[in-house]
Amino acid sequence: MNEAMETIGRDLGRMLEALSGLLFVSLLVPLVWDEYWAIPALIVSGLLPLGIGFALTSQFREATQPGKLHGMIIAATGWLLVAVFGSLPFLLIAWTVELGLPVVETPSQTETLAAFTEPLNALFESMSGFTGTGLTMTDNEAVLPRTLQWWRSFIEWVGGVGVIVLTTAILARPGSGSLTLYESEARSERIHPSVVSTVQTIWWIFILFTFVSILLLWVVGMPLWGAINHAMTGLSTGGFSITDNSIATYDSAAIDFALLPIMMLGSIAFPVHYLILQGDLRNFYADLQTRWVFIYMSAGTLALTALVYVSGTYKSLFAAFRYGSFQFISAATCAGFQTAVDATNVALGRWPAQAQLTVVFGMIVGGAAGSTVGGIKLIRALTLLKGIRFRIADIFYPTTAVRRLEINGRRLNDQEMRQEFEEAAIIGLLWFVFLGLGLFVLLLVLPQGEYALENVIFEVASAQGNVGLSSGITGPDSLPAVGKVTFMFNMWIGRLEIIPVLVTLRTIFSRGGLYQ
Amino acid sequence: MSLDDLPIVDDPLEAGAEDRVFDSLLLVGPLLILFIAIAGRSPLTTGGAIAYCWFFISYIIYRGGQERV
Repeated sequence: MNEAMETIGRDLGRMLEALSGLLFVSLLVPLVWDEYWAIPALIVSGLLPLGIGFALTSQFREATQPGKLHGMIIAATGWLLVAVFGSLPFLLIAWTVELGLPVVETPSQTETLAAFTEPLNALFESMSGFTGTGLTMTDNEAVLPRTLQWWRSFIEWVGGVGVIVLTTAILARPGSGSLTLYESEARSERIHPSVVSTVQTIWWIFILFTFVSILLLWVVGMPLWGAINHAMTGLSTGGFSITDNSIATYDSAAIDFALLPIMMLGSIAFPVHYLILQGDLRNFYADLQTRWVFIYMSAGTLALTALVYVSGTYKSLFAAFRYGSFQFISAATCAGFQTAVDATNVALGRWPAQAQLTVVFGMIVGGAAGSTVGGIKLIRALTLLKGIRFRIADIFYPTTAVRRLEINGRRLNDQEMRQEFEEAAIIGLLWFVFLGLGLFVLLLVLPQGEYALENVIFEVASAQGNVGLSSGITGPDSLPAVGKVTFMFNMWIGRLEIIPVLVTLRTIFSRGGLYQ
Repeated sequence: MSLDDLPIVDDPLEAGAEDRVFDSLLLVGPLLILFIAIAGRSPLTTGGAIAYCWFFISYIIYRGGQERV
């Protein structure tokens, strides 16, 4: 076996060990909620990745540090593996109820849980959770066992920060290898010079914010179990819910408005949070991305409020603002919570096309890089805009003029500008290419005439942006198997910002002789 | 033996924003949530949760003010 495979194998093993730790920690939930019948399924789900992970790390303990190529392959395959093994609790718990256990009494099967006896549905849920997407295969989350409600929230919470960030924090390993992996997981900024210290501080901030969010939601009237789960999925901008109609179930303006700052906290980069906690409040407006989080979300809120109010979707301006602000911020932060559903008001899928496309725009751009959000990210959108303006203005200057592009306080020379602009343009272009591919597949497999084009664009953008808002297409029965696989691919590339997945696929095809 | 030497407590003190007030909020958070889970919604638990959130926001503003001075 060559050196690269050993390095990749060792680091994948570490990620699987970390995953098994998450599963064993989750054993506390069935114990607290008397769901003893779920314990064997959780133990088996934990032992499998633990065994494989332990075997890989022991076998390849002496492997070298990963380089850039290895890091990308580890990130891409690691996220895939974690999603595969993370689907085991869904699958095994659903089958435990389906078949029953000999000694412990199992509850009666529900249609919602039965959907997970299908491995593809379980895998979809797991991929959606870890990537922080929030599209779901459940019809009614409220009837799921508490163990699965917790597992869905927990994987989104972990996935929001990152599986590699978790692995590095727990199985701390100083050295350049950790930095390579950290950067492969769509993160680049560091809080401290050491990556291990950086990831530990990221988790520290994230845990503190989670406690504040739980208590805030509880204070405004959400029951404690709901507050715990929704704080976790809101802050990680994942958007899984434990209720049938997402946040609309509570039908409370106070809860809607309390979730806005929680989702926005999740869309601000961790290094900025750190500086703010240190007392440097200027970062709210001095940091380019944070400033634009507020500008862009305020502008989107106003636009969406105006669109749904003028079109008569909502009768009062307050209702238009309440649903408009929540849905735009939920989309732009990539949280994907819904308050606009049929049960309480007008469902998102029945909003006017221009309002749906405004939400799509929010999903595509996303929040700040270095936070928990998906999408292209604000810094790339701003780099593209500034780069285009710079290029156009270039025509008006003499060829001898020395110009610098300023982004976020950094003055870039020509070469740096080309590099940053190229990176943003490549990711932006790839994003739209895969959005188009997903759209093409969906239009092929969905029943003709059942969904409007804006609904399909909405759903694909939601999957790839790791948002999770739905116009009603995603569901165990409504979405054909090919559509589910396509969405899983969209979610996977969306979370890792496409390049690592393409690098991995190229490596696989190249080695297999398919790509020459 | 100092506070930093205690298991579980030492990691948060080591990792965070290098501020004992935020460290304390991090350590008190799960205990308060556990207390709410056991005691339910009452004036005492509601007051505790409001105080926690209020203290978190106020302290950020206070630190910001201190930094400016």
